[in-house]
Amino acid sequence: MKKFFYKIIANITAGITTLLLIFSCDDSLNTTSETSLSSASIFETTERIEALVNGAYKSLKSSDLYSGRLLHCNDLRGEEFICLTENSLGGGYAWQQNLSSTTGEVNSIWTQAYRVINNANILIDGLAKSEEGLISDELKRNYTGEVRLLRALAYFTLVTTYARPYIDNNGNNKGVPLRLKPESTSANNDLERSDVSVIYQQIINDLDTAELFLPEKYSTALLNTTRAHKNTAIALKTRVYLSKHDFAKVREEARKIVAQNQPPFSAASGVEHRLHDDITTIFSSDYTTTESIFSMPMSASDPPSGSVLATVYNSAPNYALNHTEPGILSNIEWKDTDARRQFVRQKDDLFYLTKYSKVSPAIDYIPVVRYAEVLLNYAEAEARGGDLNKAIALLQAVRHRSDADYSFPANSLTQAEILNTIRIERRIELLGEGFRTTDVLRDLLTFPDKPSRSSYTSREVGPDDEGYVFPLPNNEILTNKLLLQ
Amino acid sequence: MNKTILTLFTLFLSVNIFAQQKISGTILDADTKDAIIGASISVKSGSEGVVSDVNGQFELSVSKSLPLTLIVTYIGYRTQEIDIYEAEEAVAVLLNKDYNSLEQVVVIGYGTQKRKEISGAVAAIKGDAVKDIPVQSFEQALQGQAAGVSISLPTGVLNAAPIVRVRGVNSISLSSYPLVVVDGIPVTTGNISTTHASNNPLSDINPADIESIDILKDAASTAIYGSRASAGVILITTRQGKQGRATVSYDGWLGVTNAVRIPEVLNAQQYMDIKNEAIANRNEIAGRNDPDAYFPQYNPDGSLVDTKWRDYIYRTAVSHNHTASVSGGSEKVNYYFSVNYSNQEGFLAGNDFDRKSVRFNLDNKVTNWLRLTGGASYNINTNQSFDSGSLPGESMTTTGATRLALVLPPNVQAYNDDGTFNVNPASNGTLGKGNNTANIPLYNPVSLFALTSNNSENSHFNGNIAITLNFLNRIELKTLYALDRLDHEDNIWGSPNLGSDSYSAKGSATNISDLRQHETWTNTFRFDDRFNNLHHVSLLLGSDLQTNTRSSWGARATQASDDFFEYYQGGWGNITASGNSLGKRVFVSFFTRVSYDFKDKYYITGNFRRDGNSALAIDRKYGNFGGVSAGWVLSEESFFKEHISPEILSDLKLNASWGRVGNGNLSNDYSSYDLYSASLYGNAPTWAISQQGNPELSWETSNQTNIGLNFNTLKNRIHIEFAYFNNNVNGLILNTPQSPSKGIPNNTILANVGSLYNRGVELSIGSEVIARKNLSWNISFNYTYLTNKVTSLAEGNDDIIGATGSGNTNITRVGEPIGSLYGLKSLNVNPENGKRIFLNAAGEKVQYDGISAWHYLDGRQATALTGTDYYVLGNALPKWYGGLNSNLRYKSFELNLRFTYAGGHKVMNRTRSTLTDQIFFNNSTDILRRWTTPGQITDIPRVVNGDRISFGGSLPIAEHVESGDFLRLQNLTFAYNLPSKVFSFAKITSVRIYGQITNVFLLTKYTGVDPEVSANGNSNTTPGIEYNTAGLGRTFTLGLNVKF
Repeated sequence: MKKFFYKIIANITAGITTLLLIFSCDDSLNTTSETSLSSASIFETTERIEALVNGAYKSLKSSDLYSGRLLHCNDLRGEEFICLTENSLGGGYAWQQNLSSTTGEVNSIWTQAYRVINNANILIDGLAKSEEGLISDELKRNYTGEVRLLRALAYFTLVTTYARPYIDNNGNNKGVPLRLKPESTSANNDLERSDVSVIYQQIINDLDTAELFLPEKYSTALLNTTRAHKNTAIALKTRVYLSKHDFAKVREEARKIVAQNQPPFSAASGVEHRLHDDITTIFSSDYTTTESIFSMPMSASDPPSGSVLATVYNSAPNYALNHTEPGILSNIEWKDTDARRQFVRQKDDLFYLTKYSKVSPAIDYIPVVRYAEVLLNYAEAEARGGDLNKAIALLQAVRHRSDADYSFPANSLTQAEILNTIRIERRIELLGEGFRTTDVLRDLLTFPDKPSRSSYTSREVGPDDEGYVFPLPNNEILTNKLLLQ
Repeated sequence: MNKTILTLFTLFLSVNIFAQQKISGTILDADTKDAIIGASISVKSGSEGVVSDVNGQFELSVSKSLPLTLIVTYIGYRTQEIDIYEAEEAVAVLLNKDYNSLEQVVVIGYGTQKRKEISGAVAAIKGDAVKDIPVQSFEQALQGQAAGVSISLPTGVLNAAPIVRVRGVNSISLSSYPLVVVDGIPVTTGNISTTHASNNPLSDINPADIESIDILKDAASTAIYGSRASAGVILITTRQGKQGRATVSYDGWLGVTNAVRIPEVLNAQQYMDIKNEAIANRNEIAGRNDPDAYFPQYNPDGSLVDTKWRDYIYRTAVSHNHTASVSGGSEKVNYYFSVNYSNQEGFLAGNDFDRKSVRFNLDNKVTNWLRLTGGASYNINTNQSFDSGSLPGESMTTTGATRLALVLPPNVQAYNDDGTFNVNPASNGTLGKGNNTANIPLYNPVSLFALTSNNSENSHFNGNIAITLNFLNRIELKTLYALDRLDHEDNIWGSPNLGSDSYSAKGSATNISDLRQHETWTNTFRFDDRFNNLHHVSLLLGSDLQTNTRSSWGARATQASDDFFEYYQGGWGNITASGNSLGKRVFVSFFTRVSYDFKDKYYITGNFRRDGNSALAIDRKYGNFGGVSAGWVLSEESFFKEHISPEILSDLKLNASWGRVGNGNLSNDYSSYDLYSASLYGNAPTWAISQQGNPELSWETSNQTNIGLNFNTLKNRIHIEFAYFNNNVNGLILNTPQSPSKGIPNNTILANVGSLYNRGVELSIGSEVIARKNLSWNISFNYTYLTNKVTSLAEGNDDIIGATGSGNTNITRVGEPIGSLYGLKSLNVNPENGKRIFLNAAGEKVQYDGISAWHYLDGRQATALTGTDYYVLGNALPKWYGGLNSNLRYKSFELNLRFTYAGGHKVMNRTRSTLTDQIFFNNSTDILRRWTTPGQITDIPRVVNGDRISFGGSLPIAEHVESGDFLRLQNLTFAYNLPSKVFSFAKITSVRIYGQITNVFLLTKYTGVDPEVSANGNSNTTPGIEYNTAGLGRTFTLGLNVKF
């Protein structure tokens, strides 16, 4: 009986073991995502590589950078807006000139700019290593040029936001950490800041390379506006050199895409950039004219998220335009006949910026570089040690496009006053496009105080103020032990 | 227990009848009122005896003269003595279950054991303990019921998932929620809703269907669940039919709930005075000349508008719940069938929970060697809520009802004079500003309640079928297949009209359909035998294959073509994808357990499980887990029996166990991979990295030691269990922080770094104070003392900072308990100038002027305090907790009390920063104590408009960190059992009516709404924060239990 009994046990045990073995094929544990790709297969096809390049643009387009927050903060720190609500998350701290290392935008702008840089570095590295023959060398150079331009723009954003302006100590202040290799592990958390001049050098190096690698133009107007080409790199260089106070280089670069001495100005090679006849068109109906050198494209499927500019300025405004001194709206030389006044709407006693007007979905493209800016960059460089007449011609081209019959008061065009006149023109032309803060900083000017319609108050902030530039973000301070060295 | 019935039948004694007296009666379970079959009834100091029949009835002839005493005994129940004075009247004997008995059967992993055989740590709770409590899910009713198990409700919002911790917080990044296994299948836990309506799928289980809840606490018990068991295992066994005649029962209750401890806020006049005073103070400090900004609004009758916002948000809620069941069985087939309908209202307007469920369980002994068991439940469960502001991530929403009730300006109307909503077209339809000058960025609750909705609905099937083969009474082969299919749909709607938070989107409707399917196939082989009546060997071998799939998809429609449309299926202008997710998780496991005991004195058990988890890195998927435990019943030893009388000490048992379990409960099915996600750049397709993987990602492991001592004393009247435990968790999977400048997605990479421990003791005391027929009183008490400490973290031991709303509030730092409170070290208010004094990182006193400037006390300028000046402000985890249950029965009356308590920790009352914030927010009446004159000593600084520092508005301050010690009378029940003669004509077996109060009182020095609430729900790293969180309601219930 007992023997029989143990025999049964033995048989059953064998049976169970067999059953267990059925499961032991490991395949069932090797599940892979059906909705994402892994790094093993992301560089496998040309389509994926192109999509990765677009992904790098997309990271620049983030609501923390060029489709919202960065532009928003740069405008709010200036004198052009008054605060209507106590909405700290909607740029309230920037408007109050009360940013600290823990403030949301201080951390998110930094983080997102470095996301762009890492995405660019992943591509630069991946393209260099990608399978021979998968994509043509020409395409490889094209993509590399694009992401180097994106990296340059991200570093320019960082160095002009978080570091002292270039002319303060001639670039010898601490800038930001310089990372040029893709990061994919927990190593390398600690990295000290490179000097401002080193960051500028890298930006210029990237843009020079981009100019070399990028194509003259693409097949469609959409691509010419949303993807970088040679003239995009050149246009950006005029901005970077202006910020560096290297006015000769601004002129040198500008000349490549502003070929004429008298209006109408246009680019002679590559995409034929020129001012569009009607500035309102490029913000509302035709987003891809040749004036829009580089813009963030929007679609119903890819609208901006977060602080949508159209919402915070217009449809449910947290901020109205400052119609009192020193707000640009109070400037008497900005006439009612000026087409750019059409970007202002009045309700009761307040004025709102309507440059971005579509909401839900907010499909107005947001410009990063416009030809008008290039002309003003060029004008300023000519005004500062160049040809005054050229400066005046460039300035007038921008003004007359929107107010054809306007004539500047004679004294405003003198060598003594021309720089101020150009500055005013920039404030009118580029209002709401995120230029005010960098324009104040690069010349070590002072942010004036401004009125409020909420319990928030702002204050005057000069170059010696602790809050003159963005503080370093707390998240970086906590993890990067060399940051404060 | 019903298994023993048969055995008892065989013990049936025939009784010689030389009758002078006939005594008859019924034996019932005191809790369930089920008939007890086979209980033995004997005459004290006499020879006659009888056992009860299938209806629980008995008839006994005695020769002894009255009065006499009957002794009623039944295994697993406390022995009951009854004095009989006259023979004519039938006696009804209620037997109480004896949860201390070593014979009690306890459910363990893949089987059952008698309590005396268990040498690990297992807590058993009867299902009746949760049956009549007015809750949505059973675990909400388990507070204070078991030593070592801490349960708290993070908010009183309906169906919020409770915070359940078995022996402490056992992970940092992964879930610390125990594995919940229902009739053999692990089920989904936590909040699965993507809307403002919370959805804890455990509420799909009708609490009245639960037979027992067994909580496995140490690794020796849980290791059989291997990789998913490090936070403990809760085993739910649903009711089975019992042999005997069919029993029909009805259980129902009706309850009324109100919110308690809502803070008092200023009225309209006080509000305007304080706010304008704050502007004047700012003018004085900053040399400005700003005008007043807060002005009265008047009703048509000329009276001042003084809106009590809370009256629009809180309500008296009415709930009712009904369960009807039929159960019974024969020798061959047992069945249980139940239906449940539950309709519950929350104390926040618009919070409604509804459940309809059915369950059918069947047990069929086909032959003496073949048995089929199966069960299935299906339910539909809906929860609706507006944004309560109380679920994780909602603390600072502009629509959060709890915050709106506190902060909205009282000098503004809810409705305009013409009856329309008071909303502001200039600010997207937020609340109208009345005559105040600034826009209000928060919404009007009355318009939100009319123009938005959130709905989360479950359609949930849970079923299992098992075939068991028995050979030679020694061998059992069992195969079990179980399926848990949870189909869940979320709907969010916002009207395009002003006053809805979807106004700017021109209306929106989101539908997300989420299917979670768990399948388990378990095969076990069991061998169980006794040799020579000395050796008892039991062997379990098994395999387990689990496949969890999840597919969710949905879309958000905006731009309603007409404000008529409230559903996604209406007409909409724009549609984008939302809530998409697709994943599969597979667990492959083999396990074994060997138990041996000798002479019912020495017990030893070993178990082992090899577990594979698809979510871990290639080559790291498998882990080996296991444990050993040993028990020694000292009281069975002859030396013990010789020296110690069982009246003094009995059932003395010593247990010790050690085991290792794992945790691989990654929220992401593909955590180890670098993942690139697709999106769009305008209309161009994009790929970009969205997750930086770690090819070395492996299990968290937890090494757990348990030492226990159990005994009975004072003639078995007092039962004491003591346990010491030490859980060392290693290889914690952490989101290791990466420098943001590396540009890695979310600035984190998952890695096995870090370790922590939970050490503590547990004590349970059960006492049968009085046990007479007419009067019985039982008390059980439990106490847990626990220390949690983080011993290492990611490379460099970087702190892990946790945030609530937009601000950092918690820190996980080596040497401190996980998730300690973190913020600025605020000191007193300077009596000279009314400024709040703080300590900076260097330990120097600095004060804030309310606007922007910081100064040392001597007037020198100081640098502004920031996140780098934060201090650790206290431990947020209770060091001790427990409960006390008292059950008093006198004749037909019962009075049951359940106390819970916890303490030794701190709670951050961030709601106080909301209530004293110096923006347009209304303030609590505490603000009336503000500093106004030099020399005044007060805890409230001078009010300065826009001051978000002194009152903790933007950064948390030590001032708001308070002791969390509390004692709560969780439940008070007063019940009356109707005498059976009243209804015997109707064939009704028993009727019990009861009144019950839940959350009767709370004794605490904590000034917030409740020390148990948590703004971050179940989060490991951000516990102990109250931030605009709704408290717990007080519920009055009337209930009825009827049995036919």
